[in-house]
Amino acid sequence: MSKAHDMGGRVDPRRIDITSSNANFKADWEKEVFAITLALGFSSLWNLDRSRYARESLEPQDYLQFGYFEKWLAGLINLLGENGIIKDGTESEDNFKKSSFRVLEAKNVKKLLHIGGPTKRDSTTEKNFNLGETVSVRANNSNTKVEKGHTRLPDYVKGRTGKVIAYHGSHVFPDANAHFLGESPEALYSVEFKSQDLWDKCEHVEDAVVVDLWESYLEKFN
Amino acid sequence: MKKDNLKQFYKEFPSNPDVRVKALKAILEKEGLIDQKALDEILDTYQNKVGPLNGAKIVAKAWANKKFKEDLINNTDQVLKDMDLNGRQGEHVVVVENTETVHNLIVCTLCSCYPWPLLGLPPSWYKSDAYRSRAVREPRAVLSDFNVKLPISKKVKVWDSTSEIRYLVLPQQPPSSKGLSENELVSWITRDSMIGTGFPKPPKGK
Repeated sequence: MSKAHDMGGRVDPRRIDITSSNANFKADWEKEVFAITLALGFSSLWNLDRSRYARESLEPQDYLQFGYFEKWLAGLINLLGENGIIKDGTESEDNFKKSSFRVLEAKNVKKLLHIGGPTKRDSTTEKNFNLGETVSVRANNSNTKVEKGHTRLPDYVKGRTGKVIAYHGSHVFPDANAHFLGESPEALYSVEFKSQDLWDKCEHVEDAVVVDLWESYLEKFN
Repeated sequence: MKKDNLKQFYKEFPSNPDVRVKALKAILEKEGLIDQKALDEILDTYQNKVGPLNGAKIVAKAWANKKFKEDLINNTDQVLKDMDLNGRQGEHVVVVENTETVHNLIVCTLCSCYPWPLLGLPPSWYKSDAYRSRAVREPRAVLSDFNVKLPISKKVKVWDSTSEIRYLVLPQQPPSSKGLSENELVSWITRDSMIGTGFPKPPKGK
């Protein structure tokens, strides 16, 4: 996985094009990509973290050039590839287990979209940090289990110091779940960073950035 | 350390996205893995049923009813469930309130996470590299692209949606809208005011 997707704080001279505002879809193919991606998301072959990992793993130049739904489309094709549904001719055998694929039926759409995919788990996991406590973020934001694996720890806060402002209970841990290593729920916190602690030139000393961070992203502040 | 290399199957497909998705769909149809009626139902949901009006109704209610506002902020997921406004990409929601001293702004720097059941699908600019990059580093410059100017006395608080928590801004009620009914207030509440890139404003023609 490249870091192309980890954009927070990258210097970008472009203005925000606020005229690109209202249409959900710019073309019919975008509608197709959207609907197929959501439908296959219910197939049980992968999870949301895996699909994010698939998009992030596209060739970096493609990640940066593709539009939003082009990324979805390419990521989806790769997920179907790893499940043997799409083949590139190098497969020695047919590894698609059709019996484990759940086809989304129209009558279930409303219910399933309504349930979504909650990630909060009842399990009480280790919780080492308290509200108001000053914490440090790990200096290295690489996935600790999988080489170049998925993580939700953005580059711009690694090694930085902030304050815990909320605790959200235990949530599925993307760094494990994206690689089918189990849900491994961990305590999830919102950590507030002063902008002046993140950027050389900050716009206003009072400004702040809040980032949601899991237990193992954080360390005691010394 | 484990390795996990996803192969780049997409490169074997036609590069034009229109042609590419048709090729993909043909394979899925041949294998019987998609049901067109389900796809239609998904599109109908996000094109016609789910949109910023959902968020606007919540905000209007919060403006009109102090007790509801407290519940909404302190017990968000239950309140949304009771109003049937929970769902995919809004399973866990936090409402952040703008005040005289704090202005909140929502972004997702790692992808484009957005509270779908409350605001619908995100606008193009929310998914743009420029917004994802700049919102955390220079939120005031980003806001000026939206013609939003904040007094120096206000703190800007940017919320980066890195987990499955989705954020909704509860904008301040404009003084000129005080006394209006909850129904009338709904039309004052813009999508952007619930992301933090705009303010509520009188409906056109008023």
